[in-house]
Amino acid sequence: MARIPGSGLVRGMALTLTRFFQPKRTVMYPEVKPDIPPRNRGRLELVTDEHGALKCETCFQCAQACPIECIDMGGTDTKGRFAVHWGPAEQYAERREESALRRAGRTVSDAAAAQGSSIDITAVDATLEQFDYDPHAMLGILEGIQAAYGYLPVDALKRVSRATGAWYAMVYGTATFYRHLRFEPGRTRSIAICRCAPCLAAGTGRVAGTLTAEFNTELGRAIPWSNLRLETLPGHLAEAPSPLVVIDGEQQRDLNARNVETWTAALAGRYAA
Amino acid sequence: MPQQTRPSLDDPRISIPAGSEWYEPAPTPQTERQAEFLTLKDGEMFVNMGPQHPSTHGVLRVVIKIDGEKVVDLDPVLGYLHRGVEKLCENADYHQAICYTDPLEYVSSLFCEAAPVAAFEKLMEVDVPRRAQYIRVLTMELNRIASHTLFQGWMALDLGGLTPILWSFIERDEIVDMLAALTGQKLLYNYYRIGGVNGDLNHEFMSRLGTWMSRAAAQIDSNLGLINENELFVRRTRGLGVLDAKTALRMGVTGPNLRSTGVPYDLRRDRPYLVYPELEFDIPTRTEGDSLARYLVRIDEIKQSIRIIDQVLHEMPDGPVMAKLPRLIRPRPGRAFGAVEGPRGVYGTYAISDGTDQPFRMRIHDPSFVHLQLVGPLTRGNLIADTMAVMASLDPVMGGVDK
Amino acid sequence: MSGAALVWARLTPAGRILAVLLPVLAVGGALTTALLIVFGGAIAATIGANLPIVRFLAASVITFLITVPTAFLLIYMEMKIIALMNLRIGPDRIGPAGAVMSIVHGLKVLMKEDYTPPSVDVPVFTLAPVVVYLASFMTVMVIPFAPELTSVGLELGLLYFFAIGGLGVVGLMMAGWSSFNKYSLLGGIRAAAQAISYEIPLTLSVVGIVILTGTLSLPKIVAAQSGSLLDWFIFRQPLAAIIFFIAITAEANRTPFDNTEADQEIVAGFATEYSGMRFGFFFFAEYVNVFIVSALFSAVFLGGSNAPLVLPFHPEIIINLGSLGIMLPILAGIAPVIGTLVCAAPIWFASSRIKTWQALVAGFLIFGGLSTAAIGFWAWAMIPALGNLIWFLIKTFSLVFVFVWMRGTLPRARIDQLMGFAWKWLLPASLLNIFATALAVLLTTSGGN
Repeated sequence: MARIPGSGLVRGMALTLTRFFQPKRTVMYPEVKPDIPPRNRGRLELVTDEHGALKCETCFQCAQACPIECIDMGGTDTKGRFAVHWGPAEQYAERREESALRRAGRTVSDAAAAQGSSIDITAVDATLEQFDYDPHAMLGILEGIQAAYGYLPVDALKRVSRATGAWYAMVYGTATFYRHLRFEPGRTRSIAICRCAPCLAAGTGRVAGTLTAEFNTELGRAIPWSNLRLETLPGHLAEAPSPLVVIDGEQQRDLNARNVETWTAALAGRYAA
Repeated sequence: MPQQTRPSLDDPRISIPAGSEWYEPAPTPQTERQAEFLTLKDGEMFVNMGPQHPSTHGVLRVVIKIDGEKVVDLDPVLGYLHRGVEKLCENADYHQAICYTDPLEYVSSLFCEAAPVAAFEKLMEVDVPRRAQYIRVLTMELNRIASHTLFQGWMALDLGGLTPILWSFIERDEIVDMLAALTGQKLLYNYYRIGGVNGDLNHEFMSRLGTWMSRAAAQIDSNLGLINENELFVRRTRGLGVLDAKTALRMGVTGPNLRSTGVPYDLRRDRPYLVYPELEFDIPTRTEGDSLARYLVRIDEIKQSIRIIDQVLHEMPDGPVMAKLPRLIRPRPGRAFGAVEGPRGVYGTYAISDGTDQPFRMRIHDPSFVHLQLVGPLTRGNLIADTMAVMASLDPVMGGVDK
Repeated sequence: MSGAALVWARLTPAGRILAVLLPVLAVGGALTTALLIVFGGAIAATIGANLPIVRFLAASVITFLITVPTAFLLIYMEMKIIALMNLRIGPDRIGPAGAVMSIVHGLKVLMKEDYTPPSVDVPVFTLAPVVVYLASFMTVMVIPFAPELTSVGLELGLLYFFAIGGLGVVGLMMAGWSSFNKYSLLGGIRAAAQAISYEIPLTLSVVGIVILTGTLSLPKIVAAQSGSLLDWFIFRQPLAAIIFFIAITAEANRTPFDNTEADQEIVAGFATEYSGMRFGFFFFAEYVNVFIVSALFSAVFLGGSNAPLVLPFHPEIIINLGSLGIMLPILAGIAPVIGTLVCAAPIWFASSRIKTWQALVAGFLIFGGLSTAAIGFWAWAMIPALGNLIWFLIKTFSLVFVFVWMRGTLPRARIDQLMGFAWKWLLPASLLNIFATALAVLLTTSGGN
């Protein structure tokens, strides 16, 4: 074929130049929404009639027919008596590992709860009682548990989920969201304050008052956002000077009746950091 | 006696000491062919392309042995997208199986539905209403055009052209939107049912089809002007990866790749299904068997598909689009093979029924898988850049290859 | 906690930076002023004595600073033009018509992790982008933007251009070799082979022009093309222009000769292992290269800063502002107000629906446009460098458009076809061109004798 070499290139170049000036085909998406045909079934949603009432009559046929089991229906019957459910056997909730529970959009199941607990959960129940089993007060509940145990045991979380009806995933999510909630028992440091009469007279009452006010806690409770614990010393140590404060089993010798206030302020400043 | 060679980049010892976490000992060859492939002569080295290479069409991995720029040997590695679709289908009932097969060749998923539906209909011994047959032909030919226009863009993109792929997508988008108006989905249509189709043609589809038909042929023709006569494109594809008819038949090649070698084998003519015998169309063939011929055959098929659509629209009868069938499909024990001529070749499904509502065995034959074995023989001795030209002209879709 | 520490703790990061910077600047400014007052005369004398050195330093700094915005502009042009050819809109969200998009791209590249993979040759790997960038910006120095705006008017400018331009390949080879990646290696080797092959027709194609002009200095070549349109070398040496254009396309690694970074074949070529700003250097160098080769083509073949049409009249607008005396500041204050009102009046009278403020805004805009045009015309008429620069940039950016246009249209040539084309066609053609030119020069000069 006797064509001029390069004529194909020139033709292509001419074509792109004409397209350069033609109207563009881009759909400016957020401003211009695409034209969704009425038959579109790209999104799973419940259909409503013209009055806004749900047309779904819970026949479960959709869940039954869904081949890859991505439709899963659950709810209560019209009188609110029985839980009804259609869908694949809820595998995660039936399992008992903590990691499986975390992914389940469920409260802790009977099977998982029947496992029993490896720790003493009376403190959890006390906290729950205090918050009236209210899942909306989840942060308070978790802080209470952390104050009691020093950290959040897995069994306590399961108990919270079971007792309040909150999904385990939500309990876990709340616990992981806040920086001060811990899942590991940290190394707790204790500040033990002697409250015998001579010591109180020498000023330990003021130490205790300042520290509880500073850390917003009470004696004998852990501080939620710190591994510090304020305690009452069971009895005055033998041969110890009178204002007696023991930090991690070490009695503080630089404390005396005259410098109680400055010493406490320094201590609070040191631990607040 | 292995020849003592200069250290190559393939020798991990030149920079990675044994015991380092990067060190990986050379694999021990399991077969003779593998041993031959793994032996490096002086100056050769391996290049690993994929599974995340820009031009391996999805997740194909190709290990190329090169000598400079020349490809000495080539080994496609499959299986990165394996989902076990055949086994999934055997655990689903007949209706559900169709929706598993649709994402196989995702650019032409109506053909992936048509083959199992044809097999199941043979098992059920059901007659599809004529209107449904016409609708199937119409939608399948639309899908063929979408697939071929996309191929045209990919082919140019793999040869380094930026623009054709976007123009192709414009054409394809119109077809896809049209089919979305009909089927409700843009990519995985799930439209064919055993005994008919899911829903009759609607106004939106017909109006979109009308606008598209009025200018489709001219627009696609105009798009082709960019590369069809381009000297760079023609020089890179002409005479490249020549496949002769005998080899093609022996290796089980079908579709446009076979027709580019001069064999006018088309299932629509040779094993007619649906209403194809009543329609008038040509089987475009070429005799060169090179990459350019494979490209041009597909371009010609677009024109024939537009011709078929034109006839279908004129001859479409009225009537139901779904045969009367029980809700629960329970065919009698037996076996059936259904096949359609897809844009890449013969797409077939072999199904065995044991009388329950699930297929006992289902085997899917995908043409891309067959065509991929040609990449090795056709590329050997060419350059690295030619690997892309050959691979693009064979037009594999990895979703179907790995199943 | 002391008061200063408390204030410091409450400051935002920006406030902290300012709090440090402001005193430093104040003290520094005061010191500089004092130094200038005391030693100003001595400094001025030193500068005056070493003017060439100072001029060279200033030129280097300015050329270096020119490259970055040029690269940004070219990246934006490429994004936008190819998008329009693809029937897309392209960048349009950031800035007017997406014009700031490329700067944001640059910032993005800056903020990415700069990763050095294990087992690369670290010094070479780190130096390679520097070499590439250096080579491309060093060539900017000899570009004759206008007769008055040539930073270094080297006598061997053209030769310097080819020599330094060829240096960039060393950087690409360094990147390809040191990356410890086979794609990089292939890209580096391709770059070397391609550059060496195309340097030869590139250099040989301009020999004809060197024969005609008798000089290698770019300003002199540009000066030789002054006069009518037909004096441009593209009309006197069309074959050389074609060869030169193809060769610079290959030199700048542009489509259809972008085999060094063919992403469909060898991922990203020599830049495969680079990330962050080091990749950005390659990217910048590539676009600066496009600008440079376009500038070279327009200087050598398109008459550089010569206007294609010489105006039949030459406006001489001499305004002696000093003669106005005290009226100058008064006029400068009054003229804009009166001009705005005069321009707004017809709009205000035209329709009662137009509000007064709208008419005023429109009048202000019209007056602004008119006065800008008038000042621009005056500047063009009175400062020849400005007109020359504008002509030069128009030619250069038209060529840049052609390069981008080619990228939007053409597929890539295969590496062997590329090399074969250089050796089998371009080299003989350029030799033929030299012989023909030499013969013509010989005949005309001997005929003249």
